[in-house]
Amino acid sequence: MLLLSPPQPQLQPFFTSLHMAALVKPISNVTPKFVSSPRMGSSHSSKFSTIIRMSATATPPPSTSTKPASSKKGNIKETLLTPRFYTTDFDEMETLFNTEINKNLNQDEFEALLQEFKTDYNQTHFVRNKEFKEAADKLEGPLRQIFVEFLERSCTAEFSGFLLYKELGRRLKKTNPVVAEIFSLMSRDEARHAGFLNKGLSDFNLALDLGFLTKARKYTFFKPKFIFYATYLSEKIGYWRYITIYRHLKANPEFQCYPIFKYFENWCQDENRHGDFFSALMKAQPQFLNDWKAKLWSRFFCLSVYVTMYLNDCQRTAFYEGIGLNTKEFDMHVIIETNRTTARIFPAVLDVENPEFKRKLDRMVEINEKLVAVGESDDIAVVKNLKRIPLVAALVSELLATYLMPPIESGSVDLAEFEPQLVY
Amino acid sequence: MLGVATLTLGSSTTMVAQNHAQQHATTLASANGNRRHSVSNRTHSLPMSLVSPTNQSFTFLSSFKEPTHARPFTTAVASVDSDQLDSSDPPTKNEATKYYFLVANAKFMLDEEEHFQEQLFERLRLFGERNQEQDFWLVIEPKFLDKFSNITKRLKRPAVALVSTNGPWITFMKLRLDRVLSDCFEAESLEEALAFNPTDLKFEKPEKWVAPYPKYESGWWKPFLPPVQTEVKP
Repeated sequence: MLLLSPPQPQLQPFFTSLHMAALVKPISNVTPKFVSSPRMGSSHSSKFSTIIRMSATATPPPSTSTKPASSKKGNIKETLLTPRFYTTDFDEMETLFNTEINKNLNQDEFEALLQEFKTDYNQTHFVRNKEFKEAADKLEGPLRQIFVEFLERSCTAEFSGFLLYKELGRRLKKTNPVVAEIFSLMSRDEARHAGFLNKGLSDFNLALDLGFLTKARKYTFFKPKFIFYATYLSEKIGYWRYITIYRHLKANPEFQCYPIFKYFENWCQDENRHGDFFSALMKAQPQFLNDWKAKLWSRFFCLSVYVTMYLNDCQRTAFYEGIGLNTKEFDMHVIIETNRTTARIFPAVLDVENPEFKRKLDRMVEINEKLVAVGESDDIAVVKNLKRIPLVAALVSELLATYLMPPIESGSVDLAEFEPQLVY
Repeated sequence: MLGVATLTLGSSTTMVAQNHAQQHATTLASANGNRRHSVSNRTHSLPMSLVSPTNQSFTFLSSFKEPTHARPFTTAVASVDSDQLDSSDPPTKNEATKYYFLVANAKFMLDEEEHFQEQLFERLRLFGERNQEQDFWLVIEPKFLDKFSNITKRLKRPAVALVSTNGPWITFMKLRLDRVLSDCFEAESLEEALAFNPTDLKFEKPEKWVAPYPKYESGWWKPFLPPVQTEVKP
């Protein structure tokens, strides 16, 4: 799961995430343990209760860096943008998928998805080897710091997905056991990913304290339909990011500086399947897809996710350059492909292949860089805020102009009125 | 309605189907959404000799509980009419097996949808790891399309079909690909089901390839084509 956070706190009204300090502690040995306990249920026999327990020693190990551990920890806190955790109206969610209330709820796709998730393609694939520690020890200087940040952001995003899916799996158990079990199986995937990433952090003598993260988390409340839009996009954009990095590094192995990327081929398929499930959830609730409001919300969420990713990544060009990618080209490829995929379910999408779209994104990057510079200046808070006003106004103006660009009508052929005339 | 279970007996996995007291029609929504096929699914009862007293760990693939709504696909087991069989007899060779498929033009399926390639190889890898027999194939210009005039009139040619005995998986693939037509048919042999009209596929290289990686090599689909077969007489 890839939940993106905005590059500046000023953008909170427009985006779905926020700045959060990294919850990091130096450790010498971290063991993520996954306890999968199958239990016999009334209608489905295999239930997964996936628990992540973090065990860590109290004393930090000798740091491989010349800086003291506390300094390293401080740097991470200052630079890291971690995704927000989400919650929703669980009662509404139960009503939406209650098979007693919704007698006509089409369960075909959910049954098929359940079989697909139970297959568990990657059950034995996230197994580490000695390459990880060796590669981590070779990474030095700024690139090392960049990789730590990448692992932390990714781990937090996966863990936030685990928490949301686990709770949904628990809450929907009675009203729709099939949908509930799929959520539980998705939380299994997310826990597996988060644990794998956190174990990667241990190669750098760090780990996210996921237990503390769970207690200290701040929730963003989203109505179910917004959860569907946002999470669908998060999963699909995650797929396109991971497969793009994987295929690029396969073609250019000289940039393969850390072995986690070799796992992205399997990883991204999990992300893609998760996105498919949200596609089925939306198709089962056509009211979220078939009116003018749905079109406006679809475009809004596309814009939020694409702009957030673009601005975030443009602040981290060193990471992409470190693996041999041009950040803006990479992002535009991911945005275009995600948009094409999204057009198979959302009733309207942005015209991201229009050159004007990229020009607007680049202008937003320039404005955002100025906002960052203001934030880092030595001016007093009042002066900083005054300097920010015209920049925020310019950013809002660009966002609005991008949102108002003529959209592309789209949607699943299963729901389309024009389907009988379609030629395949 | 058929329920399917996987019995874990040592290292082998046996697919079994249990017959409910009454038959249920299995419906498959066709590409138009209106026409439905009704098929009677019946199999012999579960041979109890399969259940070892020392190893009775079950992992159910789908619930035996009958839901209130219709469930078009709950099994990947071939549909056979087995009134004449007792529980220990294997099905005879000329019984019809049900095949599910989705179809679209070859350019979409094999050239544009790059994640389709990834999915098929992922599944092939899984089947290899678990010593399962492949139950899905790609058929270029399949002969069975002649039976589906409602599909052929809406299809650009050459066409490619993904065919499987696993109905739920085809439903999942339809969800993933979206821009495809799906249906099902019965055939008495794999050769008959996968019969094709020989076609030479050539895709032009895209004028503008902006991805930071090369395109998948043309011909990636060869491992999924039907085994070389003799012509099936109509």
